[in-house]
Amino acid sequence: MRVGMPHMGNIYIPFKALFQRLNIDFVFPPVNNQRTLSLGVKHSPEGLCIPFKLTLGNLIEAAQLGADTLLMPAGYGICRLGYYAKTQEQILHDLGYKNVEIVQVGISEHKLPGLLRTIKRLANNAPWTRIIAGFRFGISKLNAMDRIERVVQKVRPLELVKGTANQIFAKAIQAIDRADDYKTLKRVQVEYIDQLNQVPKNEHAQPLVVGVIGEFYVVLEPFSNFDIEDELGKLGVEVRRTLFASEWTKFTFFLNPLGVNEKDRIHKAALPYLKRDIGGDGWESVGEKVLHAGEYDGLIHLVPFTCMPEIIAQNIMPKTRESIPVLPVLCDEQITKTGVLTRLEAFVDLLERKRRAGNNGGQRVNTQRSVHGSLSRH
Amino acid sequence: MRIGIPRALLYYQYYPVWKTFFEQLGAEVVVSPPTTQTMLAEGSARVVADTCLPVKVFLGHVISLVDRCDYLFVPAIRSIQYKVYNCSKFLGLPDMTRAVVPEAPPILEIEIDINKGKRVLYQAIYRLGRHLNWNPLKVRQAGLAAWQAHLDYRELMSSQGLTPPEAIARIADIPETEQKLPSHEPAANRATIALVGHPYLVYDEYINHRVMRRLKQGGNEILAPEMLPTDKLESAVASLGGRAYWTYEEEVVGAGGHYLQNGTDGVIGIMAFGCGPDSLLMDVLHRQAARLRSTPFMCLTLEEHTAEAGVITRLEAFTDMIYRRKRRQAEVCV
Repeated sequence: MRVGMPHMGNIYIPFKALFQRLNIDFVFPPVNNQRTLSLGVKHSPEGLCIPFKLTLGNLIEAAQLGADTLLMPAGYGICRLGYYAKTQEQILHDLGYKNVEIVQVGISEHKLPGLLRTIKRLANNAPWTRIIAGFRFGISKLNAMDRIERVVQKVRPLELVKGTANQIFAKAIQAIDRADDYKTLKRVQVEYIDQLNQVPKNEHAQPLVVGVIGEFYVVLEPFSNFDIEDELGKLGVEVRRTLFASEWTKFTFFLNPLGVNEKDRIHKAALPYLKRDIGGDGWESVGEKVLHAGEYDGLIHLVPFTCMPEIIAQNIMPKTRESIPVLPVLCDEQITKTGVLTRLEAFVDLLERKRRAGNNGGQRVNTQRSVHGSLSRH
Repeated sequence: MRIGIPRALLYYQYYPVWKTFFEQLGAEVVVSPPTTQTMLAEGSARVVADTCLPVKVFLGHVISLVDRCDYLFVPAIRSIQYKVYNCSKFLGLPDMTRAVVPEAPPILEIEIDINKGKRVLYQAIYRLGRHLNWNPLKVRQAGLAAWQAHLDYRELMSSQGLTPPEAIARIADIPETEQKLPSHEPAANRATIALVGHPYLVYDEYINHRVMRRLKQGGNEILAPEMLPTDKLESAVASLGGRAYWTYEEEVVGAGGHYLQNGTDGVIGIMAFGCGPDSLLMDVLHRQAARLRSTPFMCLTLEEHTAEAGVITRLEAFTDMIYRRKRRQAEVCV
């Protein structure tokens, strides 16, 4: 048995640590690239979203590398993502990978015990102590990565030599991947955060703050969102987001069962405009817009093309009383990065003008408001 | 008090329920007229471009009802089967309607979620009925009558082989306008064709360019998902994909899976471009048809730019292929 799974950002690193500790034979497909996307698009039914196409590409590539047990999230009551594993298994079988089995990880219904039981099955019934120890180590790696990424987000817009933070981040990820005990992991984390803090920065700049909201996968997978955070960093914009894989893990697995939900605040903000969970991250998108209206300069709303919950959110968001410029960015294989970059530049220009106008007193506010109006009506 | 019901989306499944419920409580029910070009254009203008066609049509109907009713009824049907959920578009429908049609009259909404238990369901029904009558007993009575109307409606369709618009007309005692013309086509040029898909696509003649009427005029017999009893639909779903995942899965996978194996010469699936559930469910049917290699299957994808001529061409090609097959089979038998 050889285990494989699709990519989402750097999520493979904690899983690699887990599989290594449990002596599970595993293989990861190459990180998302043009070939993954082409493979996925070629074999997907039309009208599916980019997460389906990319994960299908990953699964095919994993099967080509000999994986026969593939992990894929599933479950009821989310969006169509819960159905993907079924369709993808059919597609793999029809392509000739007859012995491939997709293990559905029903996170929304079985929570942590379900995931641990799946891991136990994959690990050939290893003792629970080893499974929990491996899982814990994986989560520490995840947390370390996200802690460093938060610092990277702060450094990117300010660094004098563009790209320095990214280089350090790439090295940090490699170092975290290599670390095989808690002590090394801690050292790596401290070391790289130090390095990032010492990057020469423009100390006087007051960068624009833009929140990135939208669907979970496209927010966390840079290949699918045209490296939007990096590109915003190059334009001198500080990016904030609430979606982090480590946060999600912490809440979904440990705090939600205890009745603590970080999303309650967001949902409450969305209530006047959207009363119920509509699956996916639609409710959260509306709520985040309302919450961040006075806080950030603008928002980027990442939407996979044909995503049902985000379309509803997109239709509701322009009608909220709390106003903030929102740039919806559709993520799809048909959309080119150049087009997205042009729109990003225009958006950042607009935010800059808006901020200047705000500082000069309300002289130009009226024109700004009309620009914003037409923009968020999109 | 007039309550407006848009003739779109779930109208075809539940109109008799809603009508009975509201009329029992003393309200008058106003239904929007059949879809027109203006409605579609007005609905499309309110939403982002990639919203699906049925939702655009729905909003068009809502806009047409704005001045004709005091309240608008927009349900949010989340789940009508244990752990089987509906598409996001249905869940967000009331809030979305309120956001994009601000001039709409107050919206009466009800959230149906069977997973939350009977108590919550009954409370939701009472909260809806309370707008018309405070008396819980009256609301209960109306609810029971409505449920009976629904059962009768389903029974009428499956026992007599009627489509939802035909059944609704018969319940309302509207005489059938369409006379059955005797077909002059030879027997080999007549086929039994099943149309599968959500009722809001199959029976909305404007958006599907009268697919059903065209096929009937050619002398073909048409079968629809509603003509099958529930147990047949459910068993077809179970044999194709295991447990259902979507609320209205049986209209597509159930009916399609059944008709591909039972007594039809061809199956046509109708879906809207960008439909989340159908993009996966039609794929299930495609694969099943390819595996069986017995019944031809075609999928028509509709959007507001779909041209009538394109639909006709595809229908002609599909039926020609079926007739050719039938003639060849007849020759082999002789």
